[in-house]
Amino acid sequence: MNTISRHEFIKLAGQGLLALSGILGFGMLVRFLGYQSEVDTQTEFDLGLASDYPVGTRTHFLNIPAVLIHNDTGFSALSLECTHLGCTLEQNKENYSCPCHGSHFDESGVVLQGPAVKGLAHLSVEQDDRGHLILFESS
Amino acid sequence: MMISRSRLVASAIFLLTISLTWWMQSRGLEPVFITPTLTGQAEYCLTCHSDLKEISQSHPVESFGCIICHGGERLALDADLAHSSMRGANNPSALSVVEQSCGGSTCHSRDDDEMGDHIQRVSTSIQTTYAGAIANVRYAFGAQTDLTPFFGTLAIVDTSLPSKTGILFLEGYSASSETHPSLQKFGENCLNCHINSQPKEGTQQTTFSGCSACHSPANSGEVTVHTLTTAISYTQCNNCHNRGNYDLSTMTFVERRDQPVTRLERYYQPIAQFTQCEYTLDCVDCHTRTEIMGDGDIHANKKDIQYIQCKTCHGTLTELPLMKILTDPNDLAFRLAQLNPVVDLEIGDTILVTEQGEPLWNTLLLPDGTYEMIGKVTHQLFHFKAVMGSECIQDPAKQESQYCHECHAVEH
Repeated sequence: MNTISRHEFIKLAGQGLLALSGILGFGMLVRFLGYQSEVDTQTEFDLGLASDYPVGTRTHFLNIPAVLIHNDTGFSALSLECTHLGCTLEQNKENYSCPCHGSHFDESGVVLQGPAVKGLAHLSVEQDDRGHLILFESS
Repeated sequence: MMISRSRLVASAIFLLTISLTWWMQSRGLEPVFITPTLTGQAEYCLTCHSDLKEISQSHPVESFGCIICHGGERLALDADLAHSSMRGANNPSALSVVEQSCGGSTCHSRDDDEMGDHIQRVSTSIQTTYAGAIANVRYAFGAQTDLTPFFGTLAIVDTSLPSKTGILFLEGYSASSETHPSLQKFGENCLNCHINSQPKEGTQQTTFSGCSACHSPANSGEVTVHTLTTAISYTQCNNCHNRGNYDLSTMTFVERRDQPVTRLERYYQPIAQFTQCEYTLDCVDCHTRTEIMGDGDIHANKKDIQYIQCKTCHGTLTELPLMKILTDPNDLAFRLAQLNPVVDLEIGDTILVTEQGEPLWNTLLLPDGTYEMIGKVTHQLFHFKAVMGSECIQDPAKQESQYCHECHAVEH
């Protein structure tokens, strides 16, 4: 059995602790440099297979918020963010109304009642290679 | 040998320090972020304030966030740092900061035909300037020769020209520069009820200043935190308007010491007369936003801006109250009703309007020619009739409430 002297043990232990400190310190440095104070907000949304949305349907995605429209001319999407001050619109019969300040929009996004003056934003929808619909939040 | 041992101890201390730092850092708050649609910039305020209730339906946190109103450091997780640049401490609606907090061309400094510049209106309103009271008291004690308003609680300029009143500015009032002792006392004791003031220490008054003076309910001695409403109860108005009386001999304000039980007692000073509706309704059921918040002009006194009378709703023997049929979906009546949805107004409805054209959006003409009003706070339904065709023997030229009180004052 090999034995090490006390002096060797202390020396090895010291080196070991230093090495461990180095690893921890390096980890902290990586964490510090990699910290992102700003949050990336999602701008692309995978809506799943296009075949899940038959012609004639209007599907609401409150998490975006947007409505996906599939009609004879294809897929399109409208933002459900009020153009007045950005509140999420609520469906009101066939129209959309803003719970914050009372703006109303028709089903194609045209302003029916203020205070909003601009119609709802049209968002782009594309189909990828897998047949999934990808909705882009910026028009 | 000594060198190796020292190195070991130093290494151990170094490792311990790094480990402790890592541990403390990992124990820190996990940020909870929100990216308001209005700003598009992430903020971490909800890390600590997620339990705060929504301030109002018109200001959802998902759209507004916190920073746009309150200021502060949006990405800070240290409380002191996060709060270091907040506006107005806990009240961003204080008039000193309200333009940055609540203003803006799409918010409450709108230059539109709906009197959307709320901040300019409130800043020049009689409830902020106190111009009438200051002028009257100065006149009474010989500091000025007539009742022309020269001073407000703050210096203010009317920027919404042309001015209907011709009063273009007020200088900031400083009672300490007055020579008459009563005026100095007036400054010390009697300037605590305007919108820009803080309640005087030792009094029972509990209100915020600025917008929150009216729009953040303060009942039972406590201000309800983080609430804005247009359903303003008479109790909120009472925080200033029924707190007591001035003692002109000592120029002090004497707070009420009685313990009112009924609403009538709570509402008014006991010497006054009132009709049923004057104490059953809330103040905001009749008094319009222009009367309360001003019309953008600087006024000399309350009488110049307050114009609602009994006839506004009841008409006279010779005239029905003014009405209009709602035909435009963008009519102000719909906007105001949306902020406090006690009624479901529809195109085609007929509502009452004031002589200045302000919609009394909580009223409705019924098919039988009578009217109803919904209490903006109580949601109570009130049914009422016009004077015309009734047994009323009023003189149509005498419409001040004192004349109506002669027959319609309630006993108390």
